Amino acid sequence: MHKNIFIGEICANDEVQKDHFLMKMYLPRTFGAVLPGQFVMVRIAGLTDPFLSRPLSIYSFSLEQNACVLELLYRVVGKGTQILAGLIEGSQLEVLGPLGTGYAMPDTEKNIVFIAGGIGVAPLSLLAEHLCVNSPSCGPNMIFYLGAQSSRQILGLDKLQSLCYAVHVCTDDGSFGKQGLVTDLIRKDIKKYPPGDTIIYACGPKAMLKTLNTILGGKYRCDVSLEERMACGVGACMGCAVAVKEGSGGAAYARVCCDGPVFGLNQIIWD
Amino acid sequence: MEKRKIKSVNPLRVGLAGLRLKNPVIAASGTFGYGQEYAQYMDLNRLGGIAVKGLSLKPRSGNPPPRIMETTGGMLNAVGLQNIGVEAFINEKLPFLRQYDVAVIANIYGESVGEYSKVAAKLSAASGVHALEVNVSCPNVRKGGLSFGADPKAAAEVTRRVKGETDLPVIVKLTPNVTDIVQIAQAVEKAGADAVSLINTLTGLAVDIKTRTPRLKNITGGLSGPAIKPVALRMVWQVAKSVGIPVIGMGGILTVEDALEFLIVGACAVQIGTANFINPHAMIDIIDGLEAYLEDNKLKHIDDLVGTFKT
Repeated sequence: MHKNIFIGEICANDEVQKDHFLMKMYLPRTFGAVLPGQFVMVRIAGLTDPFLSRPLSIYSFSLEQNACVLELLYRVVGKGTQILAGLIEGSQLEVLGPLGTGYAMPDTEKNIVFIAGGIGVAPLSLLAEHLCVNSPSCGPNMIFYLGAQSSRQILGLDKLQSLCYAVHVCTDDGSFGKQGLVTDLIRKDIKKYPPGDTIIYACGPKAMLKTLNTILGGKYRCDVSLEERMACGVGACMGCAVAVKEGSGGAAYARVCCDGPVFGLNQIIWD
Repeated sequence: MEKRKIKSVNPLRVGLAGLRLKNPVIAASGTFGYGQEYAQYMDLNRLGGIAVKGLSLKPRSGNPPPRIMETTGGMLNAVGLQNIGVEAFINEKLPFLRQYDVAVIANIYGESVGEYSKVAAKLSAASGVHALEVNVSCPNVRKGGLSFGADPKAAAEVTRRVKGETDLPVIVKLTPNVTDIVQIAQAVEKAGADAVSLINTLTGLAVDIKTRTPRLKNITGGLSGPAIKPVALRMVWQVAKSVGIPVIGMGGILTVEDALEFLIVGACAVQIGTANFINPHAMIDIIDGLEAYLEDNKLKHIDDLVGTFKT
């Protein structure tokens, strides 16, 4: 049986914050299960401008009797996402997926720390939800650090608060939570989390992940999911390259779409 | 009484430079990995052929990112021929492809004439390769590539050397980034090429107006997608009427209608590239569409359509 391109039917597509949309769609049951960290490629059938599909991480996933329900949280950054934002209930999209690797699950770590910057909250929110449902003992160990530019870009906070033991919020302009970057907060708090007892999951802008890499100094088990321009999403075009360390001490370009999007933070070469 | 039943002729079957294809639809090199990447989305047995990602003598790590940029009706890429090298291809990828009844076309690339010959020789000794496609046209790597394909003498030299190393059909893939593609096509024909395929990508550029920097790390990249189709079609038409060897057409084909245009102007087969990225079923749709077109137009065989362009 070969995988299909699925047709997703949009049942809601609302602006939840300025320039940030939450799209909910129905897909056939054959779409299958989703691992937190995976993504889909979405496209409006027949459109050649914009030409390529858009990779969007999965924010939530559930099964109903006759359908899979998928939620995508996305920020309008260009022409493609602008058009997506204009789609109304009942519109259809071509959906390829679920694609890529998921986050590694925690072992026995006492601290499960999430670090999200901006729209990076989307895949981490699904992971937090997944852990709460499948390993309920994780809940009390989950601490979420959420960074955004301002109060107008804070996403999915209510859900995170219901899932996690604690949610620390900061904004660049101080309009909500503490003022500063989420990495400033981590730098201050990191000593609370001993490396052997902690697993960290992060998603956000490259600069954030790069700073995080410096703060953690290679001592922590940390999974990050990366964002990159993609054409195919299945490993054929080699467009979404990221430099990673190889076993022999060398470097190579891995594909974010199929070797990732989740990588060990220590695997990535940042310079 | 005849012993054998007359087999019903497959109307899409194509014989091309000694290569037998069950239909004229081939996955274009660089857009289909080594076949494996798309195997879960389709039955590879349905395809006429697969031109695998360009192979070099040694593995190549490729260009630093960003490597791709969407443009109006297409995309720019500067992947830089990242590939696992010819040895790893033979050992790790060919066994997978051998399971399928599909023509495997090994696309090859070298930084010198000697490298082209060595890669050709290695592939000819392996089982499961049905033809070589010589990339003399990749515009992304400064050393080599462009100069071979842009100069009739150099293109002919590479063709001759590769031909000397192999009994497999040799297809030379031409670059459109030249003043007169017909001249190059005729030069490689004279040097012994069994077929030509065209066009490779058109060199392009995209600029970020906020930072005033190039969108691609490599600065320039190869433009592909529907944006280049009219240029490709013009060149295929010009070459098809100027050479005696078969022409494989490509450049921006998304739909069966696009593929038909190429066949009408003289291509014996087509390659589908960037379309795979946006629709993994594009080639299957095109194959089904060709069959339907023949039936609708009461044509017995695809050959009855090739080169029927009326000007």
